[in-house]
Amino acid sequence: MIHLLQANISTSAPSSYLPIGLQIAFAAGLVALLMVLTHLLGPRRKTSDKLQNFTSGIESHGDARQPMAIKYFLTAILFVLFDVEVIFFYPYAVNFKELGWAGFGAVLMFVGFFLCGFIYIIKKGALKWED
Amino acid sequence: MNALVLSAILGVVMMFSGILLKRPAAIRSVAIIGLLLLLASNMLDMSGTRFFSINLGDFLHFDRFAFLFNSVAIFCVLVYVLLTGKAIERVGVKNYADYFALFFFVLCGIFLVTSFQSLLILFLGIEIITIPLYILTGSDKRNLKSNEASLKYFLMGAFSTGLMLMGIALIYGAQGTFAIEKFNLLKIPGSPLMIAGMLLMLFSMAFKVSAAPLHFWTPDVYDGAPTVFTSFMATVVKAAVFIGFIRLFENAFGLLQPTWQLWVALMAAATLFVGNITAVFQQSVKRMLAYSSIAQAGFMMLAIFALNGDAKEGLLLYGAAYSLATIGIFSVLSRMDDYSYESFNGLAARQPLVAATLTIFLLSLAGIPLTAGFLAKFYMIKAVVATGSNLWLVVFALLMAAVSVYYYFRVIQAMYFREAGEHSASFQEPGKGFKWVLVLVAALIIALGLFPSLLLNWLYF
Repeated sequence: MIHLLQANISTSAPSSYLPIGLQIAFAAGLVALLMVLTHLLGPRRKTSDKLQNFTSGIESHGDARQPMAIKYFLTAILFVLFDVEVIFFYPYAVNFKELGWAGFGAVLMFVGFFLCGFIYIIKKGALKWED
Repeated sequence: MNALVLSAILGVVMMFSGILLKRPAAIRSVAIIGLLLLLASNMLDMSGTRFFSINLGDFLHFDRFAFLFNSVAIFCVLVYVLLTGKAIERVGVKNYADYFALFFFVLCGIFLVTSFQSLLILFLGIEIITIPLYILTGSDKRNLKSNEASLKYFLMGAFSTGLMLMGIALIYGAQGTFAIEKFNLLKIPGSPLMIAGMLLMLFSMAFKVSAAPLHFWTPDVYDGAPTVFTSFMATVVKAAVFIGFIRLFENAFGLLQPTWQLWVALMAAATLFVGNITAVFQQSVKRMLAYSSIAQAGFMMLAIFALNGDAKEGLLLYGAAYSLATIGIFSVLSRMDDYSYESFNGLAARQPLVAATLTIFLLSLAGIPLTAGFLAKFYMIKAVVATGSNLWLVVFALLMAAVSVYYYFRVIQAMYFREAGEHSASFQEPGKGFKWVLVLVAALIIALGLFPSLLLNWLYF
């Protein structure tokens, strides 16, 4: 028996991996098919404007691969760090009532640690732009 | 659990102590008090006083073995801070407190690795240990060698972590759970998924403890990192990962022993061979110690191979003996400005006490009787003999231990039998406290060599 797109967990026969195989084949096949189709069907009219990089409508100048100040990197990585932590509030907001006071305590602790980190980077001067 | 929670909090305390306190000596005192508190809380936990009531589920299980090793690890870090704390100032005073914060976070990871009950916690613990180490390796930012070491360590470490995750995923596929006590190995002993996952875990753990043939990162990283931090990485951390290693292979893969035993035996033999033979040809003492740490890892691999009561006791003793002796040697090394053998010429005449204690540490590493290193090696050999198979491994290990005597004695010979020449490096005049701690550690090594029950009795009473 072949379980199409529905894994049968009770047996670990090779055929139970068929859905995964199908999905991989479909993913690869679709990409290949679309690329070939656009290549064959679409007209090709290359102009110098079309071959340029598109950056929000602003004319590009220079090379992107230049050394830049490490401050950008630091700010960006800190932004990502604190931004991702905020995501944890979403599941809490959904389960706010069910979790009760225990959940509130846990989230308070989370925010506490989070604030510790925030105070630490400010005190360390990581966000100071001019030296 | 006491120590786990406390170490995380103490890490944060150390972070802020760097902002509030300006003097390095004050920061060091805070760290020492923190470590003493941590040690006390862990001892209390071992005797049944628990500060927190937390439902650990299938994730963690603290047994006596884990508690005892945690105490040893905290004690070793305490000795390390007492001996090398001042030398860390040479790496950078600006971020002085942050290094101590990282030590506490590493300890937090160590507590997870020694008492994990779920593969997820093992992964988490290993990551908490290694990420601070990447930072410590590259902490000498102006030094190109330190940068190189950090990048190498990071790339290779990330790769081996990938291997571990893949292994965990395959094991989950075979077992349907991360909890190692729920593994059902009798039903499907040779399931290919399980075997492949187990091999991937074996390789990634072997990488973390720098066992051959996955040891290539070790010499460069240990050599490039600031000496004070090499001391930390090569001792406490390595011993802790070994405890996680034996826990994983005993509790999770114990029933599969016939499948992996020969592989571990071959890896142990290769590690002993590569570590000892390459150490003979080194010109720098620091690099020699890096290879010696590989060689010692080979001996500790014997515990994984044997996997019996002697092996577990021996691993504990080995971890303590090796860590204390190596921390002692590195603490002397970090006070010199040159790491070649010649720089030790005539040290005995100038610093008789330091030279004498250094000799005891080196003798212990070489496994000369009356030192803890000898008994640790003895326990390992005894454990392998008790398995009754693969006796060639015993002969080979003894042969390699004999080789190791050569390069350890080269340092002793330079200290006692060579005249101080133009090569001998300047040695920072040590304070009274440093000398006292050094003598204490040497006394402890000899005491453990005479009465190993001082440490091992704690396992049972």
